Amino acid sequence: MRMLDGSGRLRLITLRKSSERTQAVLAGRGELGGKAQGLLSVCPVLDEIRAAFPTIEVDIPAMTVLGTSVFDAFMERNHLAEVAFSNAPDNRIALAFQRADMPFEVLRELYELVDQWCMPLAVRSSGLLEDTTRQPFAGVYLTKMIPNNSHDPNHRFQKLVEAIKFVWASTYFKISKDYCKATGLNICDEKMAVIIQEMVGRPYDQRFYPHLSGVARSYNYYPLKPARPQDGVVSLALGLGKTIVDGGKTWTYSPAYPQMPPPFASPGELLDQTQTEFWAVNLGEPPEFNPIKETEYLRLENLAAAEQDGVLRRLVSTYDPQSERLFMGDGIRGPRALTFAPLLSLNDIPFNRLVTQLLAKLEAAAGGPVEIEFAMNFDPHRFGLLQVRPMVVPGGEEKISAEDLVSPQAIIASETVLGNGTLDNLRDIVYVIPERFNLQWTPQVAEELEQHNHRLLAQNRPYLLIVFGRLGTLDPWLGIPVTWGQICGASVIVEATQENVRVELSQGSHYFHNIINLGVKYFCMPFTSPYRIRWDWLEKQPVEAEGRYTRHVRLTQGLRVRVDGRSGRGVIALE
Amino acid sequence: MENGKSYNIFDMAQQQFDRCADMLMLDPPTREFLRTPMREYQFSLPIFLDNGETRIFRAFMVQFNDARGPTKGGVRFHPQETVDTIRALGMWMTWKCAITNLPLGGSSSGVVCDPHSLSPLEMERICRGFVRRIAYHAGPEWDVLGPDIMTEPQHMLWMLDEYETIHGRKSPGFITGKPVHHAGSKGRKEAPGYGTIITAREALRDMGLEIENTRASFQGFGMVGQHAAKLYHQMGGTIVSVACWNHADRTAYTFRKKGGINFQQLVSITDPYGEINRAQAEALGYECLPGEAWLEQDVDILVPAALENQIRPDNVGRISPQVKIILEAANGPTHPDVDSILNERGVVVIPDILANAGGVICSYFEQVQGNMNYYWSKDEVLGKIDAILTAAYIDVKNFSQQNQISLRDASYMLAVDRVARACHERGWI
Repeated sequence: MRMLDGSGRLRLITLRKSSERTQAVLAGRGELGGKAQGLLSVCPVLDEIRAAFPTIEVDIPAMTVLGTSVFDAFMERNHLAEVAFSNAPDNRIALAFQRADMPFEVLRELYELVDQWCMPLAVRSSGLLEDTTRQPFAGVYLTKMIPNNSHDPNHRFQKLVEAIKFVWASTYFKISKDYCKATGLNICDEKMAVIIQEMVGRPYDQRFYPHLSGVARSYNYYPLKPARPQDGVVSLALGLGKTIVDGGKTWTYSPAYPQMPPPFASPGELLDQTQTEFWAVNLGEPPEFNPIKETEYLRLENLAAAEQDGVLRRLVSTYDPQSERLFMGDGIRGPRALTFAPLLSLNDIPFNRLVTQLLAKLEAAAGGPVEIEFAMNFDPHRFGLLQVRPMVVPGGEEKISAEDLVSPQAIIASETVLGNGTLDNLRDIVYVIPERFNLQWTPQVAEELEQHNHRLLAQNRPYLLIVFGRLGTLDPWLGIPVTWGQICGASVIVEATQENVRVELSQGSHYFHNIINLGVKYFCMPFTSPYRIRWDWLEKQPVEAEGRYTRHVRLTQGLRVRVDGRSGRGVIALE
Repeated sequence: MENGKSYNIFDMAQQQFDRCADMLMLDPPTREFLRTPMREYQFSLPIFLDNGETRIFRAFMVQFNDARGPTKGGVRFHPQETVDTIRALGMWMTWKCAITNLPLGGSSSGVVCDPHSLSPLEMERICRGFVRRIAYHAGPEWDVLGPDIMTEPQHMLWMLDEYETIHGRKSPGFITGKPVHHAGSKGRKEAPGYGTIITAREALRDMGLEIENTRASFQGFGMVGQHAAKLYHQMGGTIVSVACWNHADRTAYTFRKKGGINFQQLVSITDPYGEINRAQAEALGYECLPGEAWLEQDVDILVPAALENQIRPDNVGRISPQVKIILEAANGPTHPDVDSILNERGVVVIPDILANAGGVICSYFEQVQGNMNYYWSKDEVLGKIDAILTAAYIDVKNFSQQNQISLRDASYMLAVDRVARACHERGWI
């Protein structure tokens, strides 16, 4: 095992020769993969932050990287290429990987690891393509979290090995293959390093979770005045960051205005729209043995559990029904709302200052906007940096006037659009049929969308996708629970609401990277917006394929998609 | 690979023990008790041959010492089998289980027969006849059998079947070395060979050497030698030469490529018994040298992985001054008289009871899995073997450093001391 930094907390298991183990050569050969390399590169910044915030322990949680050379040996020695590149279903691929043998040379080091670490671990992907192409693979490759708390190190070892094989297998799942096809990448070039990382959190009864998780961006695509784009944006959630990554309900604020009143019309709406459930690692018996399921060891809990664990003091406001007001903290009885108000308004913990400075320093080091993921515990305070990614900020050459938005040629228009530039001759549209849509059928809608996506990818035809609800949420009652790979062939996405689907839209939040980096154009069409989709026109177009809830039409005349990245305006019109 | 000198293997084993007992200053009763087997069975097996004749085969079972747990040992079929060989093997197995801290004692068994001249049916009768004789002197909680020279997984299965028939219950833990799909253990093929390289890896770490900067010469390319060579090659080491027996010419050859052999290529011209095809090897550019040339190569590591008594006073001088480690993958490949010579030259000898213990550890795991009737993944089996062998190596290394003695002396002293303590703690002595 090789140390990757002076602290000895970041280590590497590699099959590379000793002469190839210098940091530069390892980086050059992609041994660490994208995520791990990103984390390592920010160590000097963290040193500065630590000095400025002595009351908070700021670190990258201890991690061991299983290098891409180990992945290569695993694939080669077990002759897995055939099944990996085949059209076999994901579960067959996962099973084949589970049955294959780990390279013998690393077994002892993995044994040593579980011998030393008896705490929950996150086993994450760190793909080479993520590094070399700067393509976002969020929602494509999988992460497995394991409790790693058995008294028997052999059992812990077995579970760790299962998790590693699962993450490796996810490289070749259908979604990954489709994603690579959509982005012009060759899946054969992928090599997957794996990060085995200590999880930030605390054990409570049968669950383990951090007091808060967050995603912070140094550039905000949708600033609410007076905030500016360069002020950045932070999303917070109780428990594991899965809530944020999956597009669940989170608390989002500008770090320049942490105490700005929430954008909700009433306390009732606030209670309704803030987080009520959180993810935790299951420290008890898992409900089923299923090594090829990502959430095998996770459990979804409600706020009452967190209240019982006594972790809400710094995170909630309480609704007082008599005065119909929210009070900061948990000092009175009443429904709790996860507003993070005590943390953001009282300055006893310099959390917001820490995030702001960290974003600024990382942005300076990266030479451009960045996105970070983190987790935090209180008493004692610990801030663990989990991921760092560069962001791409759209330019603004395209100019769209207010008149353009209402022109007779316009099919769709919005003033909340992500992306930039023009796309011509778009002839395929996949849309959710409005009159057949109901939130109770969203998982089935996701399946149909995946089929359309797969077919259009095979034909190499980019398409316009129109959906209802919060796209990509894993909560089927908020929108369609698709992963990015299931819609990765779409070059334009329209996220809309209608009378019976009045949920808060994602605004592309958990697909930011995919949307921005891949040049996908994203239109947000809330029901309250002055602009409408021209459904009457759409219904008259020739149908190519139709499912129970979705339809694919192919136009005889191409569409022109224009997006002004600076103003956030966009219009889709007939050419 | 003849040594040109007859010797009694049990004398050699006792010689090693005596030296160790002196160093440990064992009291006379303990010394006497550990110098000889606790129990021996010698019996005759009348077997009907296919031609209708009956032949009597002699068989031996030696349970050398069971102070630390049920005894464990292989069953050998060999025409030149002697009770002394079985005694020596039982003794070594006792030390081997002790040095790896397995909760087992040591035993060995054998039948004087030549499997090459017997039909499968006759072999089945021998296997079943042997078990009928020992069925009440062996078992998962008393003496666990396993394969050895010229005994194969099929033989183990016949023996198991006979044992279960006699006792009227399923007992997969009675015997090891069974086919993987018949209650065998994954990793069994790799375990002995991989085990030797695990100890070499640790020794190289102690010496501050990277395995990929080393070169090695192997004697023997059977199951142990081949898997040891495979792992060594995978870890980046360079294999310069491999020696093996040639049945047609009834002699051994050493195949050499100074720049390093291509392991996969060599395996592709090797038969299932570990014999490298001479003509194909020469066509592929290998030098074909005399059998003992493996010993003379300018390498860092010598791996005797074939027979006993291969490094002797008469050939030790031919070992290159470059050699730093002798890795005893075979049982007893080094004559006791050359230990001091090698020690003076600064050559580290990783002794057989440590270097080739991977096989017995895997057998132990197979027995445990059989007792539970629950079977592990290969990752788990091999990972645990690595952990146990590494711990054993570290114990031996620390003991040798503390007492300024060789790894062989340290291994034997630690092992004998553990067995002696078990005898004392049980109140036997």
